[in-house]
Amino acid sequence: MFFQTFILSFIFHVVELKELHEKKIKEILDEKQLWNMPILDKEASIEEVLSVLTGRDHVWIVEEKGSKKLCGVITESDILRLLAPHHLPKYVFGKRYGISLHYGTAKKAKDIMHKHLIKCSLEDKVGNVLARMVNAGIRRLPVVEKDEIVGEITVHYILQILLGKR
Amino acid sequence: MLLEIGIALVLAKLAGYALERVKQPAVIGEIVAGIVMGPFIAGKLFGIEYLSPITEGMGQIGIVLLLFISGLEIGVEEIKTAGKKGMLTSMFDVSVAFIFGFIAGYLLGYDIRTSIAIGNILVATSVGITVRTLMEMNALHSKVGELILTVAVLDDVLGILVLSFTLGKGQPMMLLVKVFIFFLIFLMAVFVISKVKDIKFHIPRFALTAAISFAFIFSALAYDLGLAAITGAFFAGLVLSNLPQRRRINEFTRQMGEVFFIPLFFIWVGASFDFYALKDMGPLVLLFIPMAFIGKIIGCSTGAKLCGFKMRDALAVGVGMIPRMEVALVVVTTEITMGVFSEALAHQVLAATILLVIISSLLTPVLLKVVYREEKENKVEEQSG
Repeated sequence: MFFQTFILSFIFHVVELKELHEKKIKEILDEKQLWNMPILDKEASIEEVLSVLTGRDHVWIVEEKGSKKLCGVITESDILRLLAPHHLPKYVFGKRYGISLHYGTAKKAKDIMHKHLIKCSLEDKVGNVLARMVNAGIRRLPVVEKDEIVGEITVHYILQILLGKR
Repeated sequence: MLLEIGIALVLAKLAGYALERVKQPAVIGEIVAGIVMGPFIAGKLFGIEYLSPITEGMGQIGIVLLLFISGLEIGVEEIKTAGKKGMLTSMFDVSVAFIFGFIAGYLLGYDIRTSIAIGNILVATSVGITVRTLMEMNALHSKVGELILTVAVLDDVLGILVLSFTLGKGQPMMLLVKVFIFFLIFLMAVFVISKVKDIKFHIPRFALTAAISFAFIFSALAYDLGLAAITGAFFAGLVLSNLPQRRRINEFTRQMGEVFFIPLFFIWVGASFDFYALKDMGPLVLLFIPMAFIGKIIGCSTGAKLCGFKMRDALAVGVGMIPRMEVALVVVTTEITMGVFSEALAHQVLAATILLVIISSLLTPVLLKVVYREEKENKVEEQSG
């Protein structure tokens, strides 16, 4: 363990995990990150969503073009479900099982996005945010201030910080 | 007991899978497995006694989970975004289907409470079969498909409401007060949940445990107020549908329910099928099943026509809304548990509802294809004319 840490710290500037847990999100968030985030408006077509997802594994959905007001997210696994042969569950309730690419009922981003998001704020501690991700079984959280998206925390981002790449 | 449950679960899974292979709902397979496990087949052949207070209790847990899932998946937002067309059509749908069921009961000479109970069974549509058929016909994205989906969602909600209002225990005025109190608590719960944006404490899987516990507490609350427990379970689902953890809660409840408790409910329904009831239920079946078909066709078609649909499209909406499945069986079981029917009549109504479920599942795809074929032929004629 010591040897591994020694090697890693030789290659990268390794950040202590405990130290990271105590930091606030605003201390680790890169301000320039927002420019490179995958964002589309809710009226965007499915083709636009698919196009973004060819390069990224998720896309944040905002109310309208130019706005930062967050209203949903679409992930790779949502698209996988849409691409696979449509399978209805044993007990069908609600309209969501009627949403399908094959049958033309998925037309816009708002048709397929998850509306109820688990979020974090700039004041949250990294440890709490990671625990929230583990509990919810998700790999990315939007950082939100007054309902507007100001950044994102992903597993990759945390790994980069741990390895001193950020 | 343990052996019976084990065998029943495997049998239900296999029968469900076999029916899915022939494009029929798995639920029918589970009911058939229940009939096989019941006193008339496995009971006589192998001396198996499946029906017991324990299996009934597990089935009741299955009902709570099923209605909780239904409330979670429908969600407050889907109801809000139903639109005028959906609302109008479902009002016609629910009221006409209910009245036709009531008339069937009244014509058979049952008292008003029993006739109301029969009306309640016919209210809720099962959208699964229609969605499957519309998908096969590539018509899910059509105006008809869209309206059917919206109305089917709404009539589950309205069906539960009608059940609460019509079959609650106590004096009418007291019942009204109790229903008012229940909905006040429901609205307060929705408000509180909408304010829960961030949970500062982290107990592993706390949200899941809290959600399931909330479903049972809300069911108990509804029951104690004289309403049906299923009303509580359904509205508990609606309350939690606004939570960010909705998806996780839904997946967890579905896994737990679909694998164990919900099949046990449908097996229990099948096992309760009384073959002796068949010989006395002729008049009931002859009136109950046609009324179930006609009520939906007239109610939904009228609603859709008033919303500006062409006659053929309106008819397709009516036909698409015929199937009854999960909620109808839950409603009839709840009414039996509430003691609405006498013992002999309870067996007949349950058997008639099982027959309605099977017949409506088999006939709806055929009828829907006929209506749509007519529409296509007419279109071709219009173009060539």
